[in-house]
Amino acid sequence: MGVIRNIQWIVGRQRVTTVIPVVLLLIIVLAGIFAPLLAPNDPNFVDLSHKLQGPSPQFPLGTDQLGRCLLSRLLYGTQVSLSLALLIVTACVSIGLVIGSLAGYTGGKVDGIIMRICDAILAIPSLILAISLIAIWGAGWKQMAIALIIVQSVYYTRFIRGMVVNLKQQTYVVAARIMGTSPVRMVTRHIIPNLLPSLFIVVTLEIGWVIMDISALSFLGLGVQAPTPEWGAMINEGKTFIRSHPRLIIAPGVIILCVVALLNIIGETLGDKNGKAIPMRKAAKHSNKLKGGQHEREGNHS
Amino acid sequence: MSLLVADQLSKTYKSTGWFRSDQSADQGVHHISFTIESGSCLGLLGESGAGKSTIGKIILGLLAPDSGKVLFQGVDLYAASRSQRKELRRDLQVVFQDSYSAVNPRMTIKQIIGEPLRNYERLSAKEEIRVISELLEMMGLRADDMYKMPSQMSGGQLQRVNIARAIALKPKLVVLDEPVSSLDMIVQKQILLHLKELKEKHGFSYLFISHDVMAIHTLSDQVAVLDNGTIVETIDAESLFDTVHPSCQRIVGAKSSDQFEGFVF
Repeated sequence: MGVIRNIQWIVGRQRVTTVIPVVLLLIIVLAGIFAPLLAPNDPNFVDLSHKLQGPSPQFPLGTDQLGRCLLSRLLYGTQVSLSLALLIVTACVSIGLVIGSLAGYTGGKVDGIIMRICDAILAIPSLILAISLIAIWGAGWKQMAIALIIVQSVYYTRFIRGMVVNLKQQTYVVAARIMGTSPVRMVTRHIIPNLLPSLFIVVTLEIGWVIMDISALSFLGLGVQAPTPEWGAMINEGKTFIRSHPRLIIAPGVIILCVVALLNIIGETLGDKNGKAIPMRKAAKHSNKLKGGQHEREGNHS
Repeated sequence: MSLLVADQLSKTYKSTGWFRSDQSADQGVHHISFTIESGSCLGLLGESGAGKSTIGKIILGLLAPDSGKVLFQGVDLYAASRSQRKELRRDLQVVFQDSYSAVNPRMTIKQIIGEPLRNYERLSAKEEIRVISELLEMMGLRADDMYKMPSQMSGGQLQRVNIARAIALKPKLVVLDEPVSSLDMIVQKQILLHLKELKEKHGFSYLFISHDVMAIHTLSDQVAVLDNGTIVETIDAESLFDTVHPSCQRIVGAKSSDQFEGFVF
């Protein structure tokens, strides 16, 4: 309930400047989802007689060094990149919520130990840590996903822990304690719903970074493996032809740029509007006002 | 047996740090003792910073005192086992000053009042609605209000909701921590009279914390006057204005409006 109300609030109050990036991003996402319908060719069909061709009616963006349709590969690559990013961010948020609220709510030694572990992980640049983890486990998208989840969830844990510590001191949480509410219920009913708005903004900003990381690791040959189309991997495969056929790396490069830029713009605008520093109570008040009419009507019916 | 006995409670706030001395240790409360009888109201009167809220927190089990004991229904609150404490909590509820921050802004009034009920009583959905409507009507609100959000209510209405929540479990003692201080005079009076009525009808006991002499005088049976962290006098509410204790006179006197007569605003 709270999440929906909140998203409604965020979406309902935006101006054109926010709507445009959201619409553009939605187009890219939909293009990825409907890739099987939109793609003119099989993205993995190798036809060496057509290799490195320029744009033509049959291949709108031309073909790569193995004669595969570039546009089709880009469309299918959207599926891979976005769903991987979403998977990683979802996992990170879940881990962050559990460990972050545990640390923030319990406080004391538990908090200290968890935070020191986080500090230790944060001390190492995240991509380098991810690369070393993949070096241990071997390349592949699953290993990459796990490595990125481990590295990224630390940020979420820290962020959520900070929010929980703050919310824990709110009068309504103290009141709930006096009313005999159990710690678990307190976290799930009172604390987490009130930190979601801020978390939503952070997630929007972070998805862009995760997409960059996925592309970077795939470019290095550590993530998504050939022949699966993925933007970073496509740039990696095309880099040999950077002088003769630059479009092989420009096309996926532009897509990555667009998606990351769009996500950042959306995140920034939401952050600006909501006041990034813990806007929860204000946001909640507004959202309630929006929903207010409805509630009143419900009230009158019963 | 008295409902609540506070025995020689002391709590000092020490600022600990590498570069700080212990000179600020005089803040806090010292050797606070009082008793609250069942069905009566003890007013705790004092200036800002006199330690009223500290005492409230200690009584509520939120802040362990440095020394002294809180006996609630004969059980030491800070020596009680977990399960004992949970049972004691049931009989010990609170109303805070700021009605808006005392409720989760994302919950409906029904969820807010229903929370203590769900924690302690297993009611069916129908029963719960019945109990909540009864509570709302008891507080002079409409039963329909349970579907509202806190932001749709005024401060006074929401404070009534907070009181309804506090009395939902029929507790023995309600700590009222400046419950009317952020409301205007008319609403203050209505709510105070409501609280008085509830006390007489249902036999609740109150610990009424306030800096407002008139409010204290309206609701309390006995008044403990707090100055600089110690109780300087415990006096019947009727004879509050006849006090002879100097610092008590100062606190009581400072509140009557004739103090302002010499000033031009």
